[in-house]
Amino acid sequence: MLERIGARRVLLIAALGVAVLVGTVAATNLQTQAVYYLTPSEAKAQGVAVGQAIRLGGLVKMGSMSSADLRGGNDFRFVITDGSVDVQIVATGAIPGLLREGAGAVVEGAFVAEGSFHATQVIAKHDEVYTAPTAGATPAHRTAP
Amino acid sequence: MSAGDLGAAALRAALFLSLWGTGAAVYAAWRRDARALASARIAAGVGFGLVVVAALSMMFALATHDFSILYVAENNARETPLFYSIISLWAALEGSILLWTAILAGATAFIAFRGTVAIPRLATTALAVMFAMLTFFLLLITTPAADPFARLAVAPDNGNGPNALLQNHPLMALHPPLLYLGYVLTSVPFAYAIASLILGEGGDRWLVATRRFALISWALLGVGIVAGAWWSYAVLGWGGYWAWDPVENAAIMPWLTSTAYLHSVMVEEKRSLLRTWNLALVVATFALTILGTFLTRSGVVNSVHSFSLSAIGPILLGYLVAILILSVGLLLWRSARLRDAGPIGAPLSREAIFLFQNVLFMAATLTVLLGTLYPLVAEAISGAQLSIGGPYFDRVEIPVALALLFLMGIGPQLPWHGASRATLERQFTAPIVAATLGAVAALVTGTTALAAVLTYALGAFVVATVMQEFGRGVRARGTLHGEAGLAALSNLFRRNGRRYGGYVVHLGIVLVALAVATSQARTVDAERTLAPGDSLEIAGYTIRLDTIRPVSEPQRDSIVADLSITGNGASEHLRPALVQYPNSTAAVGSPGIGAGLRDDLYTILAAYDQRTLSWATIRTRVIPGVSWLWLGGAVIGIGAIIAALPAPRRRAVRMPVAEVAVSAK
Repeated sequence: MLERIGARRVLLIAALGVAVLVGTVAATNLQTQAVYYLTPSEAKAQGVAVGQAIRLGGLVKMGSMSSADLRGGNDFRFVITDGSVDVQIVATGAIPGLLREGAGAVVEGAFVAEGSFHATQVIAKHDEVYTAPTAGATPAHRTAP
Repeated sequence: MSAGDLGAAALRAALFLSLWGTGAAVYAAWRRDARALASARIAAGVGFGLVVVAALSMMFALATHDFSILYVAENNARETPLFYSIISLWAALEGSILLWTAILAGATAFIAFRGTVAIPRLATTALAVMFAMLTFFLLLITTPAADPFARLAVAPDNGNGPNALLQNHPLMALHPPLLYLGYVLTSVPFAYAIASLILGEGGDRWLVATRRFALISWALLGVGIVAGAWWSYAVLGWGGYWAWDPVENAAIMPWLTSTAYLHSVMVEEKRSLLRTWNLALVVATFALTILGTFLTRSGVVNSVHSFSLSAIGPILLGYLVAILILSVGLLLWRSARLRDAGPIGAPLSREAIFLFQNVLFMAATLTVLLGTLYPLVAEAISGAQLSIGGPYFDRVEIPVALALLFLMGIGPQLPWHGASRATLERQFTAPIVAATLGAVAALVTGTTALAAVLTYALGAFVVATVMQEFGRGVRARGTLHGEAGLAALSNLFRRNGRRYGGYVVHLGIVLVALAVATSQARTVDAERTLAPGDSLEIAGYTIRLDTIRPVSEPQRDSIVADLSITGNGASEHLRPALVQYPNSTAAVGSPGIGAGLRDDLYTILAAYDQRTLSWATIRTRVIPGVSWLWLGGAVIGIGAIIAALPAPRRRAVRMPVAEVAVSAK
């Protein structure tokens, strides 16, 4: 009988241990992996540190997509703007086929210098009624239907 | 009378019948009244028929472009091909809820006619619960918030057409209905669980009665999720299949709890343990399907899926809260009757592994939920807008998934109650050798990321244990029944489908895990701007741009890049395109995919010279092993079918003398 209870306790402690371990990993990652969503104006005003992961949302500036003169290159350049502040984006990795000049886009990555941003992920807003943020306004992603 | 009028009238009549059925079923369960039950059955059958009529009316209205109906005007156009017109039933919110209601009405009718025969009182109570839920959904689609048959005062000449992304690939015909079926069928185990609690039954009858439903809804959810990943891969043009998007998370959470339940249910059946736990899992699974619908349909979370905002958000939230209060209240009220038959066994017993597996599945569910809801909570508290991206989910869920893969190899090899040292040695020698070989295979093929190597090792471990089980089963049938090879194997499936079908599912999961590990670890990208005649090279493939040409169809205009692929033994043509639908401001990328067992060549037309078509930017990705993911989904489906098929009735068979002699040995 005693042995039975011992086995049960071992099990319970092990199960609790697993739960605490996963919980801790989740909590710390939640702290470090939370990515704030800003417009170029907000990023400038807040002085986001170089290297800090953020999401930047805005419009792809007309005439700023680079692929035409990039024979052989592996990164992709465009400008994201909210009307008052422009940020030069250099994107690596997959670029969605939906990305268009004049359309909304969200990039995830970090600033490498003032006004220059390295994007590890590019998300094209593919809903039709998406309204891009106007100058200085907060991101409009909540209004996305 | 137009199709729209017919559909609207059918829904209202069905609502009346559903209300009647709720009352009749409650009365029948309370007073054990056969006449009330008979009338509830008729209400369920006729109600189901009426909702089907409504769904067919909507399909008819879509196919005949009846733009006097708002839903048709918003989601259909004269140019929409017939196939996409018909599947536009689930292209937007109102139609989706109509489909949802039709499935729920079907499940209600099934319980009314089949369930109530086997265990009358429990099933009749469950029927009342089903009717109550059906009434809720019928109320929802007959109010303006989600009325699919709402009219326009003046019918426009032409409609908007379906969302560009939804009419660009035939997988759209498969993925949403599978998920909806999976979602809705979780309500059957839920209804029986609630009925069991209401009646205060201590036993496991509800669980035995709904075992098959739980399995089928789990399988549909799983296959639906894989189909969704495939759709995302084939349509969205980003070369991936999973992004931890809230909509994806909403689908995976009930699947996780449902997987936990399918396993812990065996502990209750064999050992009469974990009773309260199993009830809680069934409630959680059902509640998560409603939570997922609420999250994705109310617009509270920011998702790349563009579902329409509507007034049903608060209604669904109210429904969810009501379900949780009712369920938790019932569980607390009846907890005294839900005593387990004894303590759980030794740490190295099958039930203990199931317990750990459940803890891990819960951890996975809660951490996904946390990551999905955290942005909402953070914004409510601090006002900051933030998102929890893929890295959080990868870092938390990959270790959990690896641990689960490990348990998947161990669990089936351990006996109930506890294992001796000799058993452990016998069961695990071959699998440990296989795991080592798996790790070596990963390293040899150039897969070096730690998580990927572990996936290969654990995958091989699981495959070895499953093969060992099949080998023993086949040999046992050989000695006992004189069957050999395939005959023995097929009889294992037929007579013990739950166990051996389950092993097939495990093999499917291993395939999925290997596909994810391989594709995440070894994908290669390249991008070039090419003039016709130029080519680019990637991972041994040579991709030549032959022509860039415009293609006009009634419903859309496209620019197509014709690519010739050579190298790695391939010789094929791919046609990535940019497709412009009239209702869409941006062109939709349509990737050209050369699928293969070894790797997929994924090509996207990223940009082109709009004046003279003299150049095009081609983005390519070589993704190894990604097609194993879809294969794995199919294997999971096949395994689930084997497990769900009823075993043939045992008959007393007169054995020939010779066989008796063999089996007596």
